[in-house]
Amino acid sequence: MHRFTGSELAFSILSELYSVAIKSSEKELVKRILELKDFVLNERPTSVASLNILRLIGLYILEQGFTGVDEYIVGLREKYERSLERAAEIMSKRIVSGEVLLSNSNSLAVRKVLRHLSEQGKDVKIYITESRPGNEGLLLAEYAESLGFEVYLIVDSAVRFFMKNIDKVVVGAEAVASNGAIVSKIGTSLIALIAKEARKRVFVVAPILKFSHETLYGELLKLPEYDWRSLISEEEIAELPVDYRARVPLYDVTPSEYIDAIVTEYGLFAPQAIPLILSLVERSITSTSRSLEEVMSGLKALVEV
Amino acid sequence: MSRYPQRVLEIASGIREMKIRGAGKIARAAAEALKIAALNYNGVEDLMSFKKYMVDVGELLILTRPTAISLPNAVVYVLSPLRGSSSFSEAREIVVRQADNFIRESEEATKRISVIGAKRIRENSVVLTHCHSTAAVRVIIEAYKQGRVVRVYSTETRPFYQGRVTYTQLAKSGVPVVQIPDSAVRYVINEVDYVVVGADTVTSNGAVVNKIGTSQVALAAKEARTRVYVAAESYKFSPLTLVGELVTIEYRPPEEIVPREWIEKHLRVKVLNPVFDVTPPDYIDAIITEYGVIPPQAAVLILVEKLGWALDVLGYGESKLDLKKIVGL
Repeated sequence: MHRFTGSELAFSILSELYSVAIKSSEKELVKRILELKDFVLNERPTSVASLNILRLIGLYILEQGFTGVDEYIVGLREKYERSLERAAEIMSKRIVSGEVLLSNSNSLAVRKVLRHLSEQGKDVKIYITESRPGNEGLLLAEYAESLGFEVYLIVDSAVRFFMKNIDKVVVGAEAVASNGAIVSKIGTSLIALIAKEARKRVFVVAPILKFSHETLYGELLKLPEYDWRSLISEEEIAELPVDYRARVPLYDVTPSEYIDAIVTEYGLFAPQAIPLILSLVERSITSTSRSLEEVMSGLKALVEV
Repeated sequence: MSRYPQRVLEIASGIREMKIRGAGKIARAAAEALKIAALNYNGVEDLMSFKKYMVDVGELLILTRPTAISLPNAVVYVLSPLRGSSSFSEAREIVVRQADNFIRESEEATKRISVIGAKRIRENSVVLTHCHSTAAVRVIIEAYKQGRVVRVYSTETRPFYQGRVTYTQLAKSGVPVVQIPDSAVRYVINEVDYVVVGADTVTSNGAVVNKIGTSQVALAAKEARTRVYVAAESYKFSPLTLVGELVTIEYRPPEEIVPREWIEKHLRVKVLNPVFDVTPPDYIDAIITEYGVIPPQAAVLILVEKLGWALDVLGYGESKLDLKKIVGL
């Protein structure tokens, strides 16, 4: 099965909560929000867009009640869609015909950048790493090919070998921390380091919804790790020693000093400026100091009485 | 029917198809093939014909893989004394003796490297290695036996997964080893005290040509101030680079990365599969050879002192490997 990207997960949560909101009881909706919160925290703690969506919906319920929550969810979905589009469009303006890009994994934001480039008639070449574990790079390569771009697929180890051919690195993110560091598919931080060494620019396309409020209050982002099952099949492992041990992190942290710009729907900024931008444009988010846990326990109290 | 013994052709195709892989194994297999060819020679029993035949076998072997210098170094080691031979039977003996010597010396070299290299690793260290290198694995095992290694990270090493060979060899010796995907190197590097890797070729300026990904492992180590050691027998040093020759980086078929069906469905995606990359000397703390620990910048000393024979037969300023000249044809 194909693993959701961070944005795909956020969209699927929005769709699901919308259908629960229109079909089921208020209690059911709250129950589902709480279940999804546990699911994301356990399975996908880095998907900050999903956590932010759950928090925002929860806040709406706490502050305005259940009336209009379905419309609020629709609005949130449309807003996130527009944010992604806008961020991708802004990124695409920074890329000119003839440039050579490098990306990894299969970020929805990066796919949208490519679509904008294609619509603008810009001809770019793109190197894509296969992105183990998961090999999502193959999906991005298929998509880039379908848009008519020249695509080069390489193994994750070949990034430094080809970096001299690259003009810009463009990646997506699962989360943006308050210090401007980003969480993205494992290997991104190595790519960014290699780009820095070669003096190539690194751009991260990430709507503001991916900003992690928890990090602002000192929380660490949890990075999930998988075991050998994400590296090797049951048949292949038979040839390896018993108790074959593997450590398979899915995400890593790229420090802000390796990122030239984070591209949001509000524009292209130095990563260190992200908290500032947030406080300027998204007062509705920063003005609330209520953490995800606070909002969720508020919701719980609501249905328990 | 081929002029060459079946076994020689098998070794050549084994090297080409990577059934025989790793610079040391390739070199020893080539020496073995030359010996078999000499022993099974059934052409005219005269010195010139024999030399021509051995040159042909040598060229056949050298052409199987373009990057690893161990291959031509082994061939030159075995065949160069033919220049001083005066009869067919003496020439045949020379090839057999030189091949045996090469195999013995190269195995002893790996052993000496493990003894020297293990001393460089402090107690309770975490080691990371990339790909599979016999020399690097033996350094790690020796260090583990001395209580110096508590954990090893082994990259799986796409596309061929040589890391699984490393994993198996280390696990069989009791070394606690954990496999990681190649993309996770920077993620774990802060826990790592030493990176120990092998080499396919060491150039005259101390750059190391090794499995694709080595240079980014070294870069991540440099960023984290983790030491990088390269375990390399002297026959991996390239005399040709001293005279300006570039090391050719081999590209292998895309099917090693993605299945044929995927390639045929996505004809506009070019799958690029370079096998080696170049790690600059500034990212390497030391090269561990059977003659001792040297900074990469001193690679030229090994070349001049220990591979002087190769330089002599190549001739200074001669940038192409000419086996005919080397055997005195």
